[in-house]
Amino acid sequence: MEGSVMMRALVITHGDIGEEFVKVAELILGPLEGLEAASNAGHSAEALIELINNWLDREEGPALIMIDDYGGSCATAAQLACGERKDRFILGGVNLAMVLGFLTWRENSEAEVLVQRIVDKGREAIVRLGGS
Amino acid sequence: MSVALARIDDRMIHGQVTAGWGQQLRPDLILLANNAIAADAWQQRVYAASVPPEIGVEILSVAAAAVRLAKAEETGESVLLLTGSPGEMSELVRLGAPIDRVNVGGMHFSAGKSEMLPFVYVDRQDLIGLARLLDQGVDLMAQQVPGGREHPLDDEQLRAMGERL
Repeated sequence: MEGSVMMRALVITHGDIGEEFVKVAELILGPLEGLEAASNAGHSAEALIELINNWLDREEGPALIMIDDYGGSCATAAQLACGERKDRFILGGVNLAMVLGFLTWRENSEAEVLVQRIVDKGREAIVRLGGS
Repeated sequence: MSVALARIDDRMIHGQVTAGWGQQLRPDLILLANNAIAADAWQQRVYAASVPPEIGVEILSVAAAAVRLAKAEETGESVLLLTGSPGEMSELVRLGAPIDRVNVGGMHFSAGKSEMLPFVYVDRQDLIGLARLLDQGVDLMAQQVPGGREHPLDDEQLRAMGERL
């Protein structure tokens, strides 16, 4: 979007889930920038907050953190690292549709609109396809 | 028994505690004893929000947590007690908290710490805290999650670890 800084995102999860999301997104969309992943493995709460803070501090502009589980260490650390700043967004329940939505729309959307579109897309992706 | 589990975990309130031990033990209350978080309303809100609605949560200073545990003894509430370090747990015992066994659940790597178990990294300060708990007559059991392997920790192991630091 003209005049605005493109949002970047960090997927931070248990195990290697986030890393795999990034790999799969690259398989689908090709090499990409502005999307990174981290794991909570081996990190104390303090270390996880520091990891996120380092990522946040690396560049100016709006930032999105997507985490896997609401109520886990990733969610807590993300909230404590972001504080109450309005240009740092956190979404729980990350799924592939959200990651792909972020990559697809981030160039043409204002931050607040982009984040809401990702939420809507993530919810729409949860569908029942079989069973009764 | 008021203290259903007393756990040292430097992630404090997180999935292994709420979903793992919380589902297994179904405590009335998760009590986090941590001076810094107890003094910061924002951090308290973030940590407390991780606890499912069917379990109560209180975040208190170490001194206030000792008083709260004495009250839980009277009311018969079942408490899942958390501290972020061995020193804080030992301080609770010194203040009279009814703890005879401590679960060493998660002490992660940071600069200056060495591995004792895959989920237990310690420095000298940690070893002093753990040794103090043993001196206070508390049994130490390292175990990450319910049903996970149990590793009893004794004086000899702590001494051997101290020599490696």
